[in-house]
Amino acid sequence: MDVELVVLNILNGISFGAVLFLLASGLSLIFGVMGILNLAHGALYMVGAFIGWTVAVKLGFNFWLGVLAGGAAAGLIGLIMERGFFRQIYKRFNEQVLLTFGILYVLTNLSLWIWGGVPKPPFTASILDVSFPLMGGAYSAARIAVTVIGVGLAAALWWLQAKTRVGAIVRAGMDDREMTMGLGINISLVATLVFCLGAFIAGASGVIGAHLFGVTLDLGLDILLLAIVVVVVGGTGSIQGALLGAMIIGLIISFGKALLPDLAMFLIYLVMIIILLVKPAGLLGRKI
Amino acid sequence: MSEAGSQPIKRTGQLRLTRFLPYLIVVVLLAVLPALIPSYVESIMTKVLIYAILAMSLDMIMGYTGLLSFGHAAYYGGAGYMTAILISKLGITSFWIVAPAGILMAGILAVIFGFISLRVSGIYFLLVTFALSMLLVSVATKFASITGGSDGLSNLPYPDLGFSFFTWNFTSYYYFVLIFFIICFFLMYRIVHSPFGKGLQGIRESESRMSSLGYNTWLYKYAIFIIGGLFAGVAGVLTTSHDGVIAPFHVGVTVSSLAMLICIIGGSGTLWGPVIGAAVIILVEYFSSLYIPARWPLVLGGMFILTVMFLRGGIALHLLNLWKKVSHGIHKN
Repeated sequence: MDVELVVLNILNGISFGAVLFLLASGLSLIFGVMGILNLAHGALYMVGAFIGWTVAVKLGFNFWLGVLAGGAAAGLIGLIMERGFFRQIYKRFNEQVLLTFGILYVLTNLSLWIWGGVPKPPFTASILDVSFPLMGGAYSAARIAVTVIGVGLAAALWWLQAKTRVGAIVRAGMDDREMTMGLGINISLVATLVFCLGAFIAGASGVIGAHLFGVTLDLGLDILLLAIVVVVVGGTGSIQGALLGAMIIGLIISFGKALLPDLAMFLIYLVMIIILLVKPAGLLGRKI
Repeated sequence: MSEAGSQPIKRTGQLRLTRFLPYLIVVVLLAVLPALIPSYVESIMTKVLIYAILAMSLDMIMGYTGLLSFGHAAYYGGAGYMTAILISKLGITSFWIVAPAGILMAGILAVIFGFISLRVSGIYFLLVTFALSMLLVSVATKFASITGGSDGLSNLPYPDLGFSFFTWNFTSYYYFVLIFFIICFFLMYRIVHSPFGKGLQGIRESESRMSSLGYNTWLYKYAIFIIGGLFAGVAGVLTTSHDGVIAPFHVGVTVSSLAMLICIIGGSGTLWGPVIGAAVIILVEYFSSLYIPARWPLVLGGMFILTVMFLRGGIALHLLNLWKKVSHGIHKN
């Protein structure tokens, strides 16, 4: 494999990883703070993508408005989910699985009902719809934008987590929920806010990642599986972990698709299993 | 006052009958069912029985032992694939060969996957079992020359029993599956009511306590994981003739989550709970396919949600409570 292809795959992997990070960061935080593995998180991404398509393509508004709309829709659904359903399933894992999986089914089927079964074509902002030559091939500006957004958000979230009082509260809630409550902090409000933020980011990243991952009904499950692997590999509850995991998985997908096309998913699950056996909390994670 | 041990307590025949009466009634009902329903509904009932076997096998692992296995379809589909590959690709059709082979495949997968999965516990166990089954999905999809790829293998026939004094149809296959169901239920009943089964429930309640009592908890968990896998394999073998196809779908998260739902909706930790759960789910699926076919996932998702929110403990628990109230009311009067 020559240098050009290697570099191209690395860049592709990083841009994949950026979108995966956007999704996985929400999943990881929710898992860390609320003790809930939200299998509906991918569905939030998918709904965001469809809403964003409706706003930005079907109705013709600004792309970034679509991003906002997708995020808001997902955030709203997330709020309903959290307030309505999530109260009683803290750390009750098989019920979480059923509940969130059920929500995934419901959201997917509703999306089928509303938007139909034909996938929408990938889309992005008009200014980003250009490619420029890179190493003998053409590299799309949208991919670079996605990477920039992803890394930017990573930095913002990290700053939020490590340098602000809110972040400290969140981390405290992850480490010792009861103690945090004992300090007079309304942990359930914090949990709701974290959940809604995670949901918003998931929906927004559905629109941002639309040109990479498309707008299809399979997204709910497919991207969820990737996000789970990212969270497991990188570690739960930490932004750095989600970023590391996302980059690793993004690169594996990119190189895997190029070198061993059908085995990319196999490799990913293999990596997940190895991590679960060797370091269950993930590479940079805090054990739940 | 009589001396303890001076007269052994006799189990009267009447007591024995009362305990087994419900089961007998159900068996009789199931046996006469084909006479009461149209033949295409028999096919639905066959599916109920197959899924009941699958859910019961999961219940032994999840309900009795407390292991959250989210990849149980791997053994179901694995057995199905083995059977299908032998029939379709190698031309071996005799039921007496392909069925044990399928079940054996399920067992081998359970031996391997169980060993890997039991190195962790709790949510990580759930994730590992899940990942392993997804691994199997990608294997099933990838090796298309053997497994038929993402389309799977189709045109799978009814079992070739080696003698042909009857023909296969919905009714005869229903009875065929019913026999397996009764045998499996009986075996699983014996297992969970044995000292081994009691040990499993002890592990579910407190593994550390069982361990300090001297039980080899890992061995217990490993054993039931394999046993559960074998019974799931029985269901998998039976499903190849019922559906006529086997596809990666049979190994994946859809079936695993369905099995888990049936277990929980019916009532995990009892053996007959999942049977009821299977009947409920499959019948709801049938009716929704009649009236609102495209909305079945919506209904199913709704059932997942409603079960968690309102049916804690499953139908079995509510039935048992109802039974207690009724019998208490009877005894008071």
